[in-house]
Amino acid sequence: MDHSAVALWGLFIGSSLRLAMPMLFAALGELVSERAGVLNLSLEGMMLMGAFAGAMGSLWTGQPLLGLALAIVAVLPIAALQAWLSVRLHANQIVSGIGINILVLGATTFAYRELVGLRSRVQIPGLATWTPPGLEGVPVVGAALQQSWLLYLAFAIAVAIAVLLRRTAVGLAIHAAGAEPAALDKSGGSVTRVRIGAVLFAGVMSALGGAFLSLGDIHTFTEGMTNGAGYLALVGVIFGNWKTGRTVLACVFFGAATALQFQLPALGIEVPTALLIMLPYVMALLAVAGLVGRQSPPAALTEPYLQPGR
Amino acid sequence: MTALAVARPTLGAWRSELWVPVGAVVVALLGGLALVAAAGVSLPAAVAAFADGAWGSAYAVGASLNRAVALGFVGLGFIVAHRANLTNVGGEGQIAMGGIVSTALCLYGGAASLPGPLAWIVPLVAAAIAGGVWGSIAGVLKVRIGTNEVISTLLLSFIGVWALYGCVQSTRLLRQPMTDSATLPESLEVPAATQVPQIAPSLDMPLHAGAIVLVLLAALVAVVLARSLFGLRLRAVGLNPAAARRAGMPIGATVVVAMFIAGAFAGLAGGFMLQGEQLALKARFPSGYGIDGLVVGLLARGTVKGVLASALLFGFLRSGGIAMELSAGVPSAIVLVIQGLVILLLAGSAWWLHRRKRA
Repeated sequence: MDHSAVALWGLFIGSSLRLAMPMLFAALGELVSERAGVLNLSLEGMMLMGAFAGAMGSLWTGQPLLGLALAIVAVLPIAALQAWLSVRLHANQIVSGIGINILVLGATTFAYRELVGLRSRVQIPGLATWTPPGLEGVPVVGAALQQSWLLYLAFAIAVAIAVLLRRTAVGLAIHAAGAEPAALDKSGGSVTRVRIGAVLFAGVMSALGGAFLSLGDIHTFTEGMTNGAGYLALVGVIFGNWKTGRTVLACVFFGAATALQFQLPALGIEVPTALLIMLPYVMALLAVAGLVGRQSPPAALTEPYLQPGR
Repeated sequence: MTALAVARPTLGAWRSELWVPVGAVVVALLGGLALVAAAGVSLPAAVAAFADGAWGSAYAVGASLNRAVALGFVGLGFIVAHRANLTNVGGEGQIAMGGIVSTALCLYGGAASLPGPLAWIVPLVAAAIAGGVWGSIAGVLKVRIGTNEVISTLLLSFIGVWALYGCVQSTRLLRQPMTDSATLPESLEVPAATQVPQIAPSLDMPLHAGAIVLVLLAALVAVVLARSLFGLRLRAVGLNPAAARRAGMPIGATVVVAMFIAGAFAGLAGGFMLQGEQLALKARFPSGYGIDGLVVGLLARGTVKGVLASALLFGFLRSGGIAMELSAGVPSAIVLVIQGLVILLLAGSAWWLHRRKRA
């Protein structure tokens, strides 16, 4: 490989990973939530709130870390609302998710204009970057891994979730809540508690994903900046067939598809942008249509659980 | 059969449920007013700007009504499918497919040379079929593999919206010929013969014939849902598919047809939006009408009257919100907040209502 090709690959892999991160955080949260039986269409709204609150926190305090904390604090009530609506009130999970997305889009747009100004693109302090020591000088890898430290956290969380779901009692309870809620109930577990916890976890992860977008990547907030990343995260879980490893791969792949939208024109290759943007959705559709292996969603996904005798 | 008879809401029950959507709208509107106040705009000024934009002139009324007509179509389709317990969240993509097909026929499919009103009717019918096909894919997937229609219509929606984006980006597809670098990524204007006639051209009120079609189709849907065999099948499939199957009803066909109808209504909305109002296909053509139509369908609680009422509400609400932003400087994002609140209040109250009804 000549010099420019090395630089190009480093750039491409780096931006693929970076663009995958917001989706990956949210998708990992959603994976846990869906395994427990709750579908959060509100992922998009929770990410947007995370991006907004993260940006505001960092702007006010000058501390991106405090921004990150504020993102989580601001998203938790929304996740709690989603959990309350879908687990306690047995509301239609799709409807409540869409409601939250619309509400958050309106609220963040409104608040940003009131607090910062109309369509302002003020720069905010972003998260520090970090490259694993010893890798800085390695061609391709070194350039690709000049990343916000949050990126490494995402992969660590992915490993933790894989272990949690497969090897722990909590993982078993989550699986039962999504596949056989009645069985969990009979064995003395609480479907309600597991599901609420799972939705709150999805909220925290979406907050991190949204904050990655505003603090780790763009370094500003723009109206509706998640722009469908939450829906893509949902798609990632579907395409990942509700398994941790495959969900991570799906998100990184979607990140690469997004990166190609910027890279191909730079290389002088003409591919319609619309096709590249559409690609993840088409692949996910093929997946749910059963054309890419067998899909096995949790049996009780989107189904409210009614305790017998209530 | 007794289950079906019991499930048919009586007039009294419907009336007692009426205050829930009305209450939700009132609470949400109050929330919106609070935000207007928080933005530091005087309430009378904001309300005046809203009223001016929503119904202040013949032009404003026409624009609001046109918007309501499009939302009404999407909402009607939604309640038909919802009767069979199917949730169509793909209105946005179905509108896009309708818009693409209608534009293609009007500009390049020779629709303009058809005799008389056929010039605009044929592309509209084609738009409805295109939306219907897009919707029925979700139905087929549901019947064949059991794919949740929410997931599939959502994915199909994104594909449809980006397909439209691609169509107006390429001159080989629907984009107007490039004359210079500033040529916008949108189609040419459709020929006059293919444009939907205006109801009151002399009044300077941009209200197209879609309003009449909507009223006729609404009546048809009401009759079909309440009195026809198909309406009964929809209800049976929605309430208890297993029992419906034992009764020998064609479940699969009912599901596919229901999704076709939901999509066809959204596609028709797209056709009317294009041939009646916008005239050229732009990159952001569906621009939230699909989502708004879904909200209208939900708000309607399964009745045709409800669809018409909430379509009017959101038609005027959106137009007023836009005007409020332009002339009073109030972010139209407030309309989103109001809409979100309405949806959440309704979603939360559904279970409560259900429990009360059983008690």
